[in-house]
Amino acid sequence: MPASGSIAGPVQALINEFSKLPTVGPKTAARLVFYLLNRPRHEAQSLSEAILAVKDKVRFCSVCFSLTEEDPCALCTDERRDRATLCVVAEAKDIYAIERTAAFKGRYHVLGGLISPMDGIGPAQLHVKELIERIGEEAPAEIIVATNPNAEGEATALYLSRLIQPLGVSVTRLAYGLPIGGDLDYADEITVAKAIEGRRTL
Amino acid sequence: MQLTRIALSNFRNYAQLDLEPSPGLNVIVGANAQGKSNLLEAIAMLGTGKSFRTGRESDLIREGIDLAVIGGDARVRAGVVHLGCTLTKSVRGMRKHYTINGQGVRYAKFLGSIKVVTFVPADLQLVVGPPSLRRGFLNMALAQEERGYYRAFVRYQKALQQKSALLRGSIAPDEELLAIYDHALVESGTQVMLMRNHLVAAIGRHAQETHARWTAGRETFAVRYAPNVPFEAPTADSIGSAFAARLREVAPMERARKTTLAGPHRDDVGLWLDGGSLAAYGSQGQQRTAVLALKVAEYNVMKDRSGEAPLLLLDDVLSELDEARAAAFLTAVGGYEQAFVTATHLPAGLPAGAHVYSVVQASVRPEVAC
Repeated sequence: MPASGSIAGPVQALINEFSKLPTVGPKTAARLVFYLLNRPRHEAQSLSEAILAVKDKVRFCSVCFSLTEEDPCALCTDERRDRATLCVVAEAKDIYAIERTAAFKGRYHVLGGLISPMDGIGPAQLHVKELIERIGEEAPAEIIVATNPNAEGEATALYLSRLIQPLGVSVTRLAYGLPIGGDLDYADEITVAKAIEGRRTL
Repeated sequence: MQLTRIALSNFRNYAQLDLEPSPGLNVIVGANAQGKSNLLEAIAMLGTGKSFRTGRESDLIREGIDLAVIGGDARVRAGVVHLGCTLTKSVRGMRKHYTINGQGVRYAKFLGSIKVVTFVPADLQLVVGPPSLRRGFLNMALAQEERGYYRAFVRYQKALQQKSALLRGSIAPDEELLAIYDHALVESGTQVMLMRNHLVAAIGRHAQETHARWTAGRETFAVRYAPNVPFEAPTADSIGSAFAARLREVAPMERARKTTLAGPHRDDVGLWLDGGSLAAYGSQGQQRTAVLALKVAEYNVMKDRSGEAPLLLLDDVLSELDEARAAAFLTAVGGYEQAFVTATHLPAGLPAGAHVYSVVQASVRPEVAC
């Protein structure tokens, strides 16, 4: 990357801004900037407006804490959605992953992260209290905990199940296993072991 | 196993290196700060994925550059394997990327593709140094040879960090959450203890034998696992319930002192000579002999378990030993297929057929074989 002195100030400033984004390094940032420099002005304008609109217009739904323009969000107000199942996810982006499948017809609850005391995140920093209140009000039959299968996701799922089970609601979590179209001998040992544990009758 | 080629790019002081080491003993000779240890470090990283030296990882990359590559071809029982380790420096810190035969793999999979036993001057502290040195000794050996060890160990460390943070008060106290971390600690910690127990037993047997041979049976060396949580039988059930019971026992104290008090992160290995503590009562010579016996044992256990001789890497350690001990050590690991030894001067009493390389300012040249 050229030294900052040899490059126009605004160009370097935008490179710096892009480099702050996740998965973007200084080289990718420079590529994005030079790409934008070659595009017509209105494209840059609509990009900058879209970025501001996200910050100005999008807020958290007061029911499920997902991102929305209207409060409550479209998913919470949609009467066709099943009130009996509630899917708990860590982040709003996880909703999109599940919605893409069209396999789930219930409602969501976004925790806003995962329990991790070393990062200063405990149940009080997440929307756990609101989840318990919702369970009281909406009386769902099943809570599906859809956190990532890593240490924090596991601990959070376990914590929620201990908290919710006494309320007489069944708590389930997503199955672990092999990716579809994958190869058994390419999967790592833990995944295969978990898949054997979670096997089902044909 | 045997390393048939090692290639470096921007690693430490090496801009470029492409070297085909010989089978048997490779002796790397050079003055200080020319790159002898760096070469050994690179070879070790192909086995362990990590540097055996402490210090900042960003120092692994040559100054002013942000990408370093270590590549190596090794002949193992299963055939020829090409290993790669790429280090990149970015604003967010260091990243390491591992490949086996050109395919990107996770660290856990890369670990132990080739096995190495390293012996560096710091290992001479193994007897008198703090328990963390002896745990590190166990960890390095186990991570390379037991597939499940590294995973269990990482899981344990993670749960431990979370529990410590919780006890320190980083978030509101929560008994429910503590119970969850304790559960994870027992599950993973039991695996760690089980595998450590097994390894120490095997190393102890070998070390005792070697030591008895060296001292003509005049002294008895004993190596015993000293787990922080004592258990009755080396089974998962027995260890698991002992650990869970111990955690319940120390729970009030852990909360009062805001720190974790029990578990394999406080393990040690007891080293005894004729029933007395070697660290407390052994002479410097006796302590040194014991370290050598431990290293020979580590080598032989790894060889027995995998059925292949690991690479032996001796960094500047022969010069620390007197001639008799150095010769005894090399004889005891006589079954090596390939070894790398660094030294500032050609060591006396090299076995016939040793291949000598000289290193001057990061350039490696074969010398006439002696």
